[in-house]
Amino acid sequence: MRDETPQRAFLEKVIELRLPSKLGYERVAMDTASSLARRMGFATDRVDSLKTAISEAVTNAIEHGNLQDAAMKVVVLLTAREDELIVSVADQGRQQLSQACVFTRPEIGEAFGREDKGGWGIWLIRELMDEVEFTTAPSGGNQVRMVIHLEP
Amino acid sequence: MMLEDELTVSTRERDEVAVIDLVGDVTTFAEEKINTAYREVTSKGARLVLLNFRQNDYINSAGIAILIGIVTEVNRNHQKLAVSGLSQHFQKIFRMVGLAQYAGIYQDEEEALAGFKSLT
Repeated sequence: MRDETPQRAFLEKVIELRLPSKLGYERVAMDTASSLARRMGFATDRVDSLKTAISEAVTNAIEHGNLQDAAMKVVVLLTAREDELIVSVADQGRQQLSQACVFTRPEIGEAFGREDKGGWGIWLIRELMDEVEFTTAPSGGNQVRMVIHLEP
Repeated sequence: MMLEDELTVSTRERDEVAVIDLVGDVTTFAEEKINTAYREVTSKGARLVLLNFRQNDYINSAGIAILIGIVTEVNRNHQKLAVSGLSQHFQKIFRMVGLAQYAGIYQDEEEALAGFKSLT
């Protein structure tokens, strides 16, 4: 085949989604990631973990990063490599993710006494994925990069 | 487009257990339906409450927060809570979050009813 440069071969394995910031669209990211991961050979339990992690990341981006402004986009990049799947979720940064959120381990006993019993999303992502990194995107938004390894 | 509100909640009684059937997705949109069903069975005097899932495909952290809210109420009202019909994945998530400390987790409805019976 012509034009089979390493760069081109790499780009062919990248899927990009641009989702409106409206709750419910995280399902589209979940379905796409799940379909790709199954085709890569991930076991069912790993695909389920990936679906939960990506849904939490996209939901955070919609709700907090973009404050549910449907005109703002959440950009999801899925990069399939030989031995891993890399998922990046970026918002447009209407609101910055606090560092405290990133490292908190919520406790159910404390949650009983709180009006807002949420705050489990980022912790779940960290527990379920093999590598997780929170950064600021070049555009200034919040970005989370998650990696799940394909075990032989 | 079906992007939200894909949950059907209904209640029934079986062997003195108030069964709340949850068919569909448990996300932020589920809050009112689940809380209404719980309040309904509680107002009828339910002591034993079973949340009966149907291998639901999508329960997210907002859904988990709603269920923690139910556990809070169950503790306050001195009821007993059990959960059945969760997929393996969500059984794992419920254990990770700590919900398993406050609600028996059973494979299916029959197992949960037997579990309640052993308590009484």
